[in-house]
Amino acid sequence: MLEPINISLESLNLTTLSPMIIPVIGALLILIIDIIKGGLDKTLYVMITILVLLLNIGAIVESVGVFTSDGTIMGVFDLVMVDGIAIIAQLIIVVVSLLFVPLALSHKRFHEFSYPEFFAIFLFMISGFEFMVTTDNLILIFVSLETASLALYTLIAMHNRDKSFEAAVKYFTLGALAAGFFSFGSMVFYALTGSIEINQISEVLAGNGYADIGFVLVGTAFLLAALGFKLSLVPFHAWAPDVYEGSSAAMAGYMSIVPRIAMFVVAMRMFEFLIHSGVVWLEVVLYIIIVLTMTIANIWALVQTDVKRMLAYSSISHTGFVMSAILIGTTQSNSALFIYWILFSFTNLGAFSMLWISRQKHLHKDQSSDHSFNKFSGMIQTSPTAAVIMALFMLSLAGLPPFAVFWGKIYMISSAVTGGYTVLAFIMALNSAIAGYYYLKLIVYMFMKEPEINKDGTAFVSNATLPLKTIIGFAVVGTIFSFIIVNPILEFVTALVYKSGY
Amino acid sequence: MLDHILSILIFFPALAGIFGLGVAKDSMRAYGTAVAFIEFALSLFLWFSFDPTVSGMQFMEELPLVPAFGINYILGVDGISLFIVVLAAFFTFIGIASLSDTKNIKNLIITLLFLQMTMVGVFLALDAIVFYLFWELSLVPMLYIIGAWGGPKRIYASVKFFLYTFTGSLVMLVGILFMAYFYYQATGVWSFAILDWYRLILPAEDLLTGDIWHMGNYQMWLFLAFFMGFAIKVPMFPFHTWLPYAHGQAPTIGSVILAAILLKMGTYALIRFLLPLFPDASVMFMFPIAILAIIMIIYTAMVAYAQEDVKQVVAYSSVSHMGVIVLGTFALNVEGISGSIFLMIGHGVVSGALFLLVGVIYDRRDTKMMKDFGGLAHVMPRYATIFGIMMMASVGLPLTINFVGEFLSLLGFYQQSHILTIFAGTAIIVGAIYMLSAYKKMFFGELTNEKNKNLPDLNKRELFALVPLVVVAIWLGIYPKPLLTPISNSVESVVQLMHDKATTDEAKRRIPSIAQEIIITKTSTKEMH
Repeated sequence: MLEPINISLESLNLTTLSPMIIPVIGALLILIIDIIKGGLDKTLYVMITILVLLLNIGAIVESVGVFTSDGTIMGVFDLVMVDGIAIIAQLIIVVVSLLFVPLALSHKRFHEFSYPEFFAIFLFMISGFEFMVTTDNLILIFVSLETASLALYTLIAMHNRDKSFEAAVKYFTLGALAAGFFSFGSMVFYALTGSIEINQISEVLAGNGYADIGFVLVGTAFLLAALGFKLSLVPFHAWAPDVYEGSSAAMAGYMSIVPRIAMFVVAMRMFEFLIHSGVVWLEVVLYIIIVLTMTIANIWALVQTDVKRMLAYSSISHTGFVMSAILIGTTQSNSALFIYWILFSFTNLGAFSMLWISRQKHLHKDQSSDHSFNKFSGMIQTSPTAAVIMALFMLSLAGLPPFAVFWGKIYMISSAVTGGYTVLAFIMALNSAIAGYYYLKLIVYMFMKEPEINKDGTAFVSNATLPLKTIIGFAVVGTIFSFIIVNPILEFVTALVYKSGY
Repeated sequence: MLDHILSILIFFPALAGIFGLGVAKDSMRAYGTAVAFIEFALSLFLWFSFDPTVSGMQFMEELPLVPAFGINYILGVDGISLFIVVLAAFFTFIGIASLSDTKNIKNLIITLLFLQMTMVGVFLALDAIVFYLFWELSLVPMLYIIGAWGGPKRIYASVKFFLYTFTGSLVMLVGILFMAYFYYQATGVWSFAILDWYRLILPAEDLLTGDIWHMGNYQMWLFLAFFMGFAIKVPMFPFHTWLPYAHGQAPTIGSVILAAILLKMGTYALIRFLLPLFPDASVMFMFPIAILAIIMIIYTAMVAYAQEDVKQVVAYSSVSHMGVIVLGTFALNVEGISGSIFLMIGHGVVSGALFLLVGVIYDRRDTKMMKDFGGLAHVMPRYATIFGIMMMASVGLPLTINFVGEFLSLLGFYQQSHILTIFAGTAIIVGAIYMLSAYKKMFFGELTNEKNKNLPDLNKRELFALVPLVVVAIWLGIYPKPLLTPISNSVESVVQLMHDKATTDEAKRRIPSIAQEIIITKTSTKEMH
């Protein structure tokens, strides 16, 4: 007779699950409401989602307190691991989601937001991303990655344009490939070490002195490719611009921030020990990938004719920039990763929101795409406030002081300098200079050309409503007054990262 | 008020710019003039409250910005920066008062006021990051001024201007971060305060061989990184190609501000950063840079001679004189550096005035080509007189403002190298040819062009802008002492600091000791022992 397994509920530490459970409950609540009474207005679902996310932030803040007093907390058979970087990443994910949701309240009606399922799927996705950062178990990472990704494909497809179907299918196909790579890489590591937990893998590998270095390299290569696809690192980036173009501007802005921070955390957990264990091959390959990602994405961005595609390439370039933190691998660089991404998300979400409020239902005859450059020409004359705000976001993305991204940039370059990567620091600086050109291009169109398509300027704010303007206002304040918030963020992030041992 | 006068000087124009949004378009020029006048009065007030006997920083302000990373908002003024700040306030005032452009004047004046904030900020900042912040930010208003109010190829010119300077300053940013890291390694605290950095001695010689030209000489690398940023701004030959374009396309007000003040950021930064931080490297690169400076003087003078557009003549002559400033700076002694600072003021006054004068004729005739003119002295006698005086000042006639600066710069460099100084001196004298020939083409001879027959002479507004400049150019040429005393006081402390910090014998020899105790004003950043 089998012995009954006795597990005390306390040892499971179920409270560690609370940040992930809250959005799931919220999603179910939305579905239940829809079953009971259909046809309710989207404002209801938006507000419910906002409330759920606020509760979620509360739960995360709770775990900040526990972490700072007790250190890393394991829960649910050691599947869940709440450490400092998990907490920061969860905060970024939820806060950015919170800023994204009100963008659904646009002036024009869009197909996807009329379905309550949109918001339910959105919350499921957030839960997936939160799980992804809160574990070092490869299987749980895989499952949560797929949960989140499948939800994301659906959200893209719900935009209901030909291009968005194309985008979703493209993303799905390559995402499936990446999933295959990920599971294969995990399998290799399991075969080598008999474990699927990253810290145990690293211990076993260090214990036998990387005896099977060939297999380690195979496993690493597959994991790197999987992460490369998901983070859209060059040469795995080809899907990204098309997917961005097919999604709504708001969704594209969201995609450029949240999935990436989740993947950064996974990459940080996985590559940290591999790089520092003397797997030179990985260091070299990662170095090359980072330099290529920064440079090639920048060069592609130079030749774009559509602002959204330009921003898509620019966000790939920023990803490459931030990936260098994982290569450098010091506490300062890992903190810089989070600081950069926090400051970048203000600005980038703001920039995409500006595109979102200028979204028209019908294109002008001279306009090649939704957000072609010539649409914005002469904007300073017709709607000066919007032009100045857009220019502000562009200057911030270009890394001009004292705007948000600048502080992330100097901290990141400084971490390269202190980490001994002098050449990388210069490459980063030169890439910022190249990037200056395409951000400037939009400013040139807005400030120095005569109005061409939108002579009355109404199109720039045609989709604007109070909630959208509030979000943009928030982004503007965050971008301009970033010099006030940098210090508290820096101290908070550095303390948590240091305490988690990264 | 004196405690925060520097912050007020920096942020008053920007604040006024924001409030300017509420002013009606017709009254905008009056508003801009009033604001710029208040700013100028404030800067004069700063000058009168300034103690010329003190060599260190005065009116210092400090506020933590990102203390966890050692970034603080630190301001201060000494004899080196004081007069450039006054010059910046003066020229913004003159520039706005003489504005003849009326297209989009509201945006233009608000942009100018923001530009003024960044310019004053650069000269007063004593924290490398705050300095860098204003330095970069100054690109944006200038980009807009050239790009929106410029000539037919304005967009190309403005983007070229932006990208050139932006690239250079990013290299400098890496240098700044390295410098902060070295400071961190030496003391255990992060600091970007320049006065803290002054106390950091970086060894230049190889410990084993005693060689200074070796890969591990961090002074050399940092010097090059900083120099890259400053040289593009100055602009040093061969990085000068953006400037004639920018001048060629910029509206009058843009050229005036660019020549009179923005270029001075580069030469000012050479004295504020490069010399005191890297004395050994400064000596290492003294001759290469001096040779570049002399090439710059001769080459741009020759190019200026070949121009047909009078604005380009002024633009190239302005580059040529920047070469003398660089030469004086790298004399590395009190005469040379004081002379170069004085020449910065003189160059600002003179080239600013020349661009204003070119703007006057461009307003009337819509052309800047010299072949369209000739014999203008007959119809515009006052214009011809003022142009003549300013041109004489530009070529450095004794008793005008530029003579003092050029003379001191050359005198300073004479102590380092006789031959190079003789070259430079000859070049400056020969350089007078292009100015005189341009003047001859425009003002003397027969009045051949029908269109020029009825040109009105200078009107009241133009006289109001130009006469003060003439007065300053002659007054300071005859009696430079009120400026020179505080300048050389502060320069003495810089030179002494360099002498004390120099680690190589060559540098000790090249940089003379003033034999006086210097006190670096300490910032309140905690010292680690």
